[in-house]
Amino acid sequence: MNVIKKFSVGAWITLAAAVLALVSIIVYAVNIGSAGYFQNAAVSNLIPLCALAVAALAAAVLLGQLKLPGAASTVMELVTGALQICAPVLLILCLGNLAAARAEGLGFIYFSNADVILEVQTPANLSSATGTIANMACLGAAALAGMAGAFCGLTKKAK
Amino acid sequence: MRAKTFAPVMRGFAAVMASLLVLTLVGTSVADSFRTRIDDALHTASYVTNTDPDSARFKSDYATIDEMMDAARALAVKEGEEGTVIMKNDNGVLPLASGGSVALFGLAAYAPYPYTSGDLKAGNEDAVDLLQALTDAGVKVNETVRDFYLNNVLNKHTEEVPNRWTGEMETQVAYDNIYVAAPGDMAQYQIVEVPPEKFEELGAPADWKSAIDKANTTGICVFARGAGEGNTYAPGSALDYEGNATGRDPLALSDDELAVIDAAKETCSKVVVLINSGNTMVLKDIARGGGHEVDGIAYIGVINDYQCTGIARVLTGQVNATGALPDTYVADNASIPAVMNFGGGYYADYEIVARSDDPRYPGVEIGNETAGSFGGSNTYNGGHFIVEAEGIYVGYKYYETRYYDSIMNPGSKAGSAKGATQGSSWDYGKEVLYSFGHGLSYLDYTQTLKSVTVDKTPEGNITAVVELKNNSSQDGCFLAQLYVQQPYTDYDRQNGVEKSAVMFLSSAKAQVKAGGSADVTITVPAKYLASYDYTNAKTYILDAGDYLFTAAPGSHAAVNNFLAHQGKTAADGMDAGAGGAVLTWNVGALDTDTFSVENGVKVTNVAETADLNYWTGENTVTYLSRQDWEGTYPINYNTDVEIRLADSPKKDAWIAELRGETYTIQNGSPAAEGGDKGVRFDTTCIQYEQLSSVDDPFWDTLVSSITIDEAVGAVIHGGSRSDVLTNVENPIVIQNEGVSGFTARHEESGYRFNLHSQTLLASSFNPELAYEWGRVEGNSGLWLQRYHLWGTGLTQRRTPYNGRNYEYISEDPMLANRMGYGILQGCADMGILNGPKHMGFNDQEHNRGGVSAYMNEQKFRETDLRCFQGGLEDADGMAVMIAFNRIGATNASHHVGMLQTILRGEWGYTGLVSTDMMNNKYYFNAESMVMAGITQVADFGGDDNHITLGEGGVDATWAYISPATVENDSALVEQARQNLKYQLFTYANSAIMNVSTVRVDTWWDAALRNATYITGALAAVCGAAWVALTVLPDKKKEV
Repeated sequence: MNVIKKFSVGAWITLAAAVLALVSIIVYAVNIGSAGYFQNAAVSNLIPLCALAVAALAAAVLLGQLKLPGAASTVMELVTGALQICAPVLLILCLGNLAAARAEGLGFIYFSNADVILEVQTPANLSSATGTIANMACLGAAALAGMAGAFCGLTKKAK
Repeated sequence: MRAKTFAPVMRGFAAVMASLLVLTLVGTSVADSFRTRIDDALHTASYVTNTDPDSARFKSDYATIDEMMDAARALAVKEGEEGTVIMKNDNGVLPLASGGSVALFGLAAYAPYPYTSGDLKAGNEDAVDLLQALTDAGVKVNETVRDFYLNNVLNKHTEEVPNRWTGEMETQVAYDNIYVAAPGDMAQYQIVEVPPEKFEELGAPADWKSAIDKANTTGICVFARGAGEGNTYAPGSALDYEGNATGRDPLALSDDELAVIDAAKETCSKVVVLINSGNTMVLKDIARGGGHEVDGIAYIGVINDYQCTGIARVLTGQVNATGALPDTYVADNASIPAVMNFGGGYYADYEIVARSDDPRYPGVEIGNETAGSFGGSNTYNGGHFIVEAEGIYVGYKYYETRYYDSIMNPGSKAGSAKGATQGSSWDYGKEVLYSFGHGLSYLDYTQTLKSVTVDKTPEGNITAVVELKNNSSQDGCFLAQLYVQQPYTDYDRQNGVEKSAVMFLSSAKAQVKAGGSADVTITVPAKYLASYDYTNAKTYILDAGDYLFTAAPGSHAAVNNFLAHQGKTAADGMDAGAGGAVLTWNVGALDTDTFSVENGVKVTNVAETADLNYWTGENTVTYLSRQDWEGTYPINYNTDVEIRLADSPKKDAWIAELRGETYTIQNGSPAAEGGDKGVRFDTTCIQYEQLSSVDDPFWDTLVSSITIDEAVGAVIHGGSRSDVLTNVENPIVIQNEGVSGFTARHEESGYRFNLHSQTLLASSFNPELAYEWGRVEGNSGLWLQRYHLWGTGLTQRRTPYNGRNYEYISEDPMLANRMGYGILQGCADMGILNGPKHMGFNDQEHNRGGVSAYMNEQKFRETDLRCFQGGLEDADGMAVMIAFNRIGATNASHHVGMLQTILRGEWGYTGLVSTDMMNNKYYFNAESMVMAGITQVADFGGDDNHITLGEGGVDATWAYISPATVENDSALVEQARQNLKYQLFTYANSAIMNVSTVRVDTWWDAALRNATYITGALAAVCGAAWVALTVLPDKKKEV
């Protein structure tokens, strides 16, 4: 509990980013497991990269709480900082890959010619499209939170 | 403040900039994949075509873009002039009286279909609608009716809608009331025609009727039916103006439309109805004897920017009417044998095809339900089927043959109740309103067959000379139609060979001076006289007996000529006498040799598996035969019998085919890896000899340089553009849509050349006009610097309900064949690849992405394939798109018999072969498509001609495919190279070889690149600053 009390606003934002990234993995898994246009449409390396981002964010928060003496403190500061930088980069990479993989499908579903729109916009396809958009929104929000967290320290300053 | 305080800020900026860097890098990659589409949306050009006018093989016929535009406009007007069909003309209603007035009724009179521009219609600024065209032709249009239709009923206005791609607001045309332009996928179809009882409610003046000078006014009522991709009309699906279901045929005139006609009859002295549709409509109510009979009926097809000018010239008699019906118009579509099996239904046990242990897709539950052609579920989509039990008897071949047999062979039970919709016995005169080829001429003329010769050799021709005699006092254009009757022999009866009592061969037009005559020569390949015997000889046969030829204004007149020649009269049941001479050509004995070898390939059965009986092992399907019209009339094989896959003696093979396992990747025969062979796709290496023959060794050397990865990848990811192959250095070729012509806008003039009407070209019955259009279309490609077009449709119109009928030509294979010949040859002569759609029985759009169409091999060869044969075998067609559906249980794009044996072998076709849109990897099987000879699978990526772009270095779509899994199947890899050989050979023989295509940067390329540099630099600076600030020692406080 004492550790949590030491969490700064930055730590909470970073944790929020981790949670959002975790949620995006779940949304992704549900989306490709459900009936609809994107069923089984796995995106290369999305889960590993996203999981890596979650781990980086969580590790940054935890390592940021450690108080080490002398030069070790500086090294630790560099490590946690690097994790804070890498995590949103990974999440943006996931978002980009997801968008690239989904662009054509979303185009079909939402922008097909009027004469085929009924054929395309089945409830399953629309649900699938909504799911993938939610997936992108989660990843985007997680990345933004990760970036915001990178501006902040991870522990409260000693008074 | 201490410097270290800035460290988190720099860290934050480093994170933001690094993220933006990744975003721009990924964005650049994505943008590159969708480059063609982004260019279209943003009006940018990523590829610049360099032409060298001095060395070009293909040069435009026009010196300036203005000349090009004038030629295109003139062609479109000519389509209107030659394609307008006068179906009924009583009481001298047409041509419209000089100086008389007309009152225009019906929504389509003021907004003909299609009313929006796009793929189907150019929408140029100088487009002429029907109202304008009639006014230009000197017709006085009643202003009261015009004004209330325009201002109160239609109320054309504009709406601001966001562009689907750019989001920019665009102005779109809208109306308060307008017909439904897209009928949907076997959905209910609302016939939105405002009945007269609503006129005053909508603001028409109470005295609008009295504003029409009845004695001097002709009422013109125009009615439309929409169509479109993915659309199929459902019989009995009509809704009225109020949205109430009527249970009637959506292609029949509704009560609201009939009420409009009645109002016109009440207020005008005479009434003409114009049919503005690509789908054959049911006109019984307004035809002779109908409850709402009108004086005149004319077919005006689906019109584009300028055709109305030509239509108005016909209606006003400025030119003679020479159009003819490309389809039979019947009293009730239920009388069409093909309609007995339309739409389709499931096998009783279709679920047994589903599986979760397909080794190609481990762990994936793959069903067998129907799915949209745009994907959406994991399914083989092999559950639905139809049986085309009508055989060759589509359209007039059914009606005219049954009529003929009712007189010549009553024992065939032609007069039985089966198939009759207008009484207790079948009566041609009641079932058929207007026959195929029917079209009235204003000017009296006769067409007489003067001579016919047949060169009975594989490459021989039928050459007929028809005299056109103008009996009128005006100069004019006239139409000659050539028909034949093949003998129907005991051999045919014993072996199930069906013959139509009359077969259209071709047609031609000529200008003839008043009182004069002119001879026109019609030439058709003699091979089309042969019939396919799939049971005994298993090849094309020419029966012994007399072949009767005649020239006649339609299929029914031709049949009557034959009957009269055979001694029949009205006393025998004929409904008209002979109107023309019949000439005979005799074959002494059954000939099973002459047409049994084509292009050096032995012609024999290749589609036995298309027959449902092959799979059931018994005579489940009875094909319609003129031996017994009653006993063989089709039943519905979806509802009247139960088809179970599990009961088949070939159950496993049947299920495997439905799962797309036409070909399985082999192991144990290593393929040779490609590499630089020192040759390239350029004018240095490709000279006359290489252009002359695809068998020149150069081509094999060239494609042997393609790597295994790229050979298979380039075929199965053919995309909407071809990509550059390593070691080949071929140009990128972008494919273009446009059954009405190239949809792209000419950059300098802003002009669009997709101004053709496929329907009016069809009803022109003029193969020369088809050639003229093909040449104009090809010329426009040269001006647009676009070289590959999906620019016509040739599928047979099996029923009136197919939503793509407006893209196709006719119910008759030979009319489609001759028109296809003209269009494709015209484009080929300009070096443009014009690929017709959708070879292989796209007989309905409903469940087109998987429905099985079962048929016997005579139908297979003599109907839909014959529609394409003229353009792809007889002419120099260079591209073709294969249908979405299955032939039998086999995906049409997997069908080795159709594509390798017939198309490449028998027809000697050397062009490219594309699938329709690949959007279901469980239905479209990559290796099967390669082995069938597909040169490009239609997906939509760019720079993706690899099988390594998926996770783990496997194919991005078919994950079981990778270099490792195909490198030991030399047959597959070599077939992929062979397919690409044909594609490259075709490019070399087209205007593509005139040019080199260079990638240039667009503004958005520069923006993305600059963003990458800037964000990269800032990320590096911020990161370095953060590290520096972090490692700086804290400044000690001074004591």
